[in-house]
Amino acid sequence: MSENKILFNTGSLDEISEEMAKLASKEESRLELSPENADSGLAKLVLTIVELIRKLVEKQAMRRVDGGSLTEEEIERLGETLMKLEMKMEELKKHFNLTDRDLNINLGPLGNLM
Amino acid sequence: MNNNVIDRSKDITILELLDRVLNKGVILTGDIVISVADIDLVYLGVKLMLSSVETMEQLKSGRSIST
Amino acid sequence: MEMMIYSIVSVKKNTKKLDALLAGIKGLSNTDLYVVTLDEIAAVVSDVNRADLIVDKSSAIEYAGVIETLAQQFTLLPVRYGSVMESTDTTKKMLERNYNEIQCNLLKVENKVEYGLKVFCDSEKLKTELKDKSETEPAIELEQGIEKSIYSKYLYKKLKEHRFEESLLAHIDAIIQNITTHLAQLNSIHRFKKMVTETTIIDVVILLKKNEKEGLIQAVKELQIQYTGLKFVLTGQWPPYNFVDITIK
Repeated sequence: MSENKILFNTGSLDEISEEMAKLASKEESRLELSPENADSGLAKLVLTIVELIRKLVEKQAMRRVDGGSLTEEEIERLGETLMKLEMKMEELKKHFNLTDRDLNINLGPLGNLM
Repeated sequence: MNNNVIDRSKDITILELLDRVLNKGVILTGDIVISVADIDLVYLGVKLMLSSVETMEQLKSGRSIST
Repeated sequence: MEMMIYSIVSVKKNTKKLDALLAGIKGLSNTDLYVVTLDEIAAVVSDVNRADLIVDKSSAIEYAGVIETLAQQFTLLPVRYGSVMESTDTTKKMLERNYNEIQCNLLKVENKVEYGLKVFCDSEKLKTELKDKSETEPAIELEQGIEKSIYSKYLYKKLKEHRFEESLLAHIDAIIQNITTHLAQLNSIHRFKKMVTETTIIDVVILLKKNEKEGLIQAVKELQIQYTGLKFVLTGQWPPYNFVDITIK
């Protein structure tokens, strides 16, 4: 299979093959669970889900704020809550030695949530 | 065209091709039982898509793929 | 003996043509290719000893090469690499069980070929552009002159990020909309995934009549003129790997 199948391209081929390699390796961050890493694997899994939910809550909250229906007081409380959630999350990540990249999950057509 | 351009076009073509032949196409379930040697589907030092890696692992370990 | 199955071909009444083609090519590990036929469809196979089977990149490429050669002369459904059937008998039964569904899929891809179009952006550049634009818009928050608490400030910072993300998504959606509209005008079937990576705006596969290749290239060129900042790559033609909607039992 030496035939060249590129019919049209813009951008250099180097750039494009780099992008395509990224695309192909997209799912590299999959979860590896084994007896040896059961602890950290589980922490990663759980925190990934927690982070997902946190982000969803944050998104939803932003939509409410954007809608303009919240009072100053509500905004204050919401800000406090979200800020504390984020700080708590940072603590947990630190504790389990996880980075944002570790907690990134691919939502298929929705792309990366984080 | 210099050699680099030819190589790059070929890389891109092969990546597109592997994505198809490993991840797409008709899936036969039921009768597939294969065991095979180690595989190395590394491209540019990068793993192929999740499903292809898993397909390969299934092939490798000789497990049957069933629905 | 087990057999590797490469594709399911629509032979209609033309088995001789397929036999002649198969005589000229080889399967994996230089094996002979032959067919298991049922009425108008045939599975192209080669004998394989599962103990000897090597699964690697070059073997996958070789496998795809067989499909490619067949696709040049026949309507077919490509089979995913690594599919092995137990025997001629099970292959035949498989064809029988799925006959109607196979025929439906063959009909759908008849005289058509697949193309792939990927569009990449420089996400940093795109963000900067959008940011510049949004900076010129009137500021939304902190307008009343009241001293805000750290929590409110945090929230408004988040809100700003949120609005920016939304505008980025809206911008990308508009590009995707434009691309898919262009493709729809070609009378093609297409499927796409958006934002698979941060820089991949769209990854689309297109099923198009064989003689409409030039129209597709033209359409992509027009899109490129519209979006000079984006990188396009159009590949093809491919056998219809992405357009077989069938799980064979």
